[in-house]
Amino acid sequence: MRSPLLIGTEHTSVADLAAVLGAEAEVMPSAEAEGDGLDWTWAAALEAWRAEATARPPVSRVVVAPWEPVARPAPLVQLDLADWVRRAEVAIARWVAAFGVAKARCADGGAVVALVDRAAPLDCAGWAAETGVADAVEALVRSLARSEGPRGVRVNAVTTPARLTALPVVDPAPPLAAFPGSVLLEAAGAVRLLLEPDAIGLTGTVVHADCGRSWR
Amino acid sequence: MAVSAGEAVSGPRVVLVTGASGGVGRGIAVACGRAGWTVWIAARRQAQAAEVAAEVDAAGGAGRAIVCDVADPTSVASVVAAVVERDGRLDGVVHNATSGLSPRPADLADVPLVDVGDHVAVSLRGTYLLARAAFRPLRDAGGAYVVLTSEAGFEGKARLPVYAAVKAAQRGVARALAREWGPQGIRVNCLAPLAATPAMEQAFALDPAMAARVLGRNPLGHLGDAADDIGPVVRFLLSDDARYVNGLTVMADGASCPIT
Repeated sequence: MRSPLLIGTEHTSVADLAAVLGAEAEVMPSAEAEGDGLDWTWAAALEAWRAEATARPPVSRVVVAPWEPVARPAPLVQLDLADWVRRAEVAIARWVAAFGVAKARCADGGAVVALVDRAAPLDCAGWAAETGVADAVEALVRSLARSEGPRGVRVNAVTTPARLTALPVVDPAPPLAAFPGSVLLEAAGAVRLLLEPDAIGLTGTVVHADCGRSWR
Repeated sequence: MAVSAGEAVSGPRVVLVTGASGGVGRGIAVACGRAGWTVWIAARRQAQAAEVAAEVDAAGGAGRAIVCDVADPTSVASVVAAVVERDGRLDGVVHNATSGLSPRPADLADVPLVDVGDHVAVSLRGTYLLARAAFRPLRDAGGAYVVLTSEAGFEGKARLPVYAAVKAAQRGVARALAREWGPQGIRVNCLAPLAATPAMEQAFALDPAMAARVLGRNPLGHLGDAADDIGPVVRFLLSDDARYVNGLTVMADGASCPIT
């Protein structure tokens, strides 16, 4: 089976993920907002990249992980406009553009898996923007599962709290002591699982690779 | 229908409802008016907002119309300031406004990102801006924040993926905000309605098979009425009757959505 395609940024954690998955990289541009970024002019670079990337040849397996460096946790009302735009609006635009490429590039009968940062519900204070983005990704995954299902494409998601969790967390402790796990072990393992032909009956599913911290 | 004296919906309250010049927002405003509350109708359309304010008056409350662009930080801040200046308090905020593009089908492979930006600005940025502007008055009042989401945010939509995404994102933000604001005595919840609205009619017109899909799986067999079926649920979430309800998304959809 050919290597999966990993659609992501130039961030080092994405490169590391590509290495452990044996994936070829489709690197998307960073969208840098100037000023407060409210006008979304920064999205033009993403749109141009999407137009080029969707035209490239199809592949059977696609991983989507358009990550940027993680910000510091902060109460929502303490985020200034520029922080909000960067953490929420730019992030959602990246995901929409990346999913657009995944949709276009994934061959009939193929599989798409998104890997997204998500703090467990017990630990999400300070991560309102990121929690919103994670829920948006879940909905995008289910939307694509619906639209691409008729041509046999499965679309699923894996969430990981690895980059958004500061220990110790409030009790009760998660069932697995490895919490919050790591991107390259627990999260990558779940991604492989969903890419495998054994997952033939799974689509629109969100797997929380969080060592049992959340079971929703 | 007016709220009877036996129904505990707390004392007089001052609430702000965005996107309240029609549809679900209008229904929420009227339902709150029936409880005798002061309801600020925040919308971009002044004339229609004034009409709903008159409906609130007729229902037994006090309606006040105010122009608001929920995507604009200055507009949101000035609206909240106007409420507090005139009425001295703000007990509840309901963010109901959505992008005018909400019912327009989109394909992720080529949807203009400026359109995505419009969805995000109204629904999601609006959630943030209202939270930021209303935090202090809500804290002072021990108030509540209700965000209108959608079943689309749970299950996705094949033809409305961006709408589904922003509705889901609102739930995520609200979940985190409930944890951040709980210690301050402010509750944060979401409501996912399924209601007969002009937007729903427009969506049905753009996708004729949608009506059969939406109603075919609904065991109650009909869409909710904005003022009689949806508004009272929001009023409950704003009231002291819901004082231990926090961080939740309530479905008011007749059991239509298969995911909760």
